[in-house]
Amino acid sequence: RGYPEFVRTAQSYHGRPIFALFCGDKDAEGRSWCPDCVTAEPVVRKELHNLPDESVFIYCLVGDRAYWKDPNNEFRRSLKLTGVPTLLKYGTPQKLVEEECFKAELVRMLFTED
Amino acid sequence: GKNEYDLLVIGGGSGGLACAKEAAQFGRKVAVLDYVEPSPQGTTWGLGGTCVNVGCIPKKLMHQAALLGSALKDAQHYGWNISQPVHHTWSVMAQGVQNYVKSLNWGHRVQLQDKKVKYFNVKGSFSDPHTVRGLTKAGKETVVTADNIVIATGGRPKYPTHIAGALEYGITSDDLFWLKESPGKTLPSFILYVSLECAGFLTGIGLDTTVMMRSIPLRGFDQASHISKKKQICFTTQQQMASLVTEHMESYGTKFLKRCLPTKVEKLKSNRLQVTWKNADLNREENDSFDTVMWAVGRVPDTKTLNLEAVGVKTNSETGKIIVDATEATSVPHIYAVGDITEGRPELTPTAIAAGKLLAQRLFGQSSELMDYDNVPTTVFTPLEYGCVGLSEEAAVQCHGSDNIEVYHAYYKPLEFTVAERDATQCYVKMVCLREREQRILGLHFIGPNAGEVIQGFALGIKCGATYSQLMKTVGIHPTSAEEVTKLHITKRSGLDATVTGC
Repeated sequence: RGYPEFVRTAQSYHGRPIFALFCGDKDAEGRSWCPDCVTAEPVVRKELHNLPDESVFIYCLVGDRAYWKDPNNEFRRSLKLTGVPTLLKYGTPQKLVEEECFKAELVRMLFTED
Repeated sequence: GKNEYDLLVIGGGSGGLACAKEAAQFGRKVAVLDYVEPSPQGTTWGLGGTCVNVGCIPKKLMHQAALLGSALKDAQHYGWNISQPVHHTWSVMAQGVQNYVKSLNWGHRVQLQDKKVKYFNVKGSFSDPHTVRGLTKAGKETVVTADNIVIATGGRPKYPTHIAGALEYGITSDDLFWLKESPGKTLPSFILYVSLECAGFLTGIGLDTTVMMRSIPLRGFDQASHISKKKQICFTTQQQMASLVTEHMESYGTKFLKRCLPTKVEKLKSNRLQVTWKNADLNREENDSFDTVMWAVGRVPDTKTLNLEAVGVKTNSETGKIIVDATEATSVPHIYAVGDITEGRPELTPTAIAAGKLLAQRLFGQSSELMDYDNVPTTVFTPLEYGCVGLSEEAAVQCHGSDNIEVYHAYYKPLEFTVAERDATQCYVKMVCLREREQRILGLHFIGPNAGEVIQGFALGIKCGATYSQLMKTVGIHPTSAEEVTKLHITKRSGLDATVTGC
């Protein structure tokens, strides 16, 4: 959860392909403040079996709504995230943003493409 | 039908992707084959074709990098404290450009997938008029059948294989944009807009660059002779626009070896390249060493491996390009072609895209609209840009006769150049009109900053049949360089001095 922890985790897996899903924080009942994230998460999780061998999947909560709306938050600045949910292949320009994450075929393509 | 797809597009570039995506909008079953044969130096790239990967996009970005370098130099005059000289790091620029291009590759993949277009990364060749065999890099075979097939495989740079060492040691634009390290002292050869544009930005980022040319620059672009003092109008095929552009490049540090023909390229012990050439003016052999030699001697259509002969698609015997009619149809029913691969068409991204879209609309959307190739505006992105739309002076003369055309022209100075103390000798605009009555505008040529932006709007005017009289009623925006077009009044015929003085 949060940017520094994400970076630490990603660095610990240096050398392996890393896929990351960024979502808004969840409340006590486990529901995210971000409705698109609620829709996207099960779709992405269902495709996890298509991840290539040796790769790593990081699920990252970015923070609460107020933090996310700040245009200068670390995720926007350093990772260039423009929206949540974002599913990306770390270190490449390959990513899916918002409604793109609802589509199983796109998620599968991100996981399996060269 | 018995075929698997309604439409198969061979080639995932500007034309091919536009056609495929448009066809998919009509709910058709579409497949795209795209494959990049590595360059002789081993360079390869992703989906999107020449424009995205090794053409317009990286070219314009690197041109911008060079312009920013010039802007940093000008900045001092405007009060900015920037220590000179400012240095450029190739790898930082290259990484930025390459990352952007890769994001475009990915964007196309997402779009195709989203529109349910099937994508195969295979090299296609015809088995019969409705069947294409695709081979992956590993040699695995896929067979695809379709009711309609569009060939949009584009072109690749030509190598002057008759010059010893050209293939082994030289690179082309295919490789230049993907270099991870600076090309260093470079020799782009010969003259086509590609070599001028590349030489332009390479010089702009501080590299020692020499252009070798056999004869005239920019053959095919406007070349009418510039003789302002004479009373007569002369239109011999000499450089005018072309020489203004190269003059500007020369004054900013690009070296030109004119009327020189390379004979061989050898590798030195230092790993640098030695180029030997024949200097036609001095009638002697000369040589020099460079870090990089880049060939820009033309592009050839990518048809070798398509097996066109097997299905009877006719090509032009001289150029090798596919012959198409006004509907982009080839000599074989249900096989079409768009983009750089087609004979007689401009080698431009927007025309390929438009042609591809219209073709899909005619095939699947009950449209009958044909692509209009007239008055297509273009721009050469040399350091001082040259934009044009419509006829060149020679073409107008050929079409209407020199007595029936009027050419207006002016040398001007962009306001931004004044404080920066920049030389504006080559900033020039020329308009070719019919001489009679309202004087319909046949062509507009503009050399100056942001030429592409300037010409775009006027292209609409010319499309609508604008006349010189209407232009004179059009108020200019002040202060801009574009307004110089609205102020044109000196004719070549008058022989008067065409230099604009201040406002």
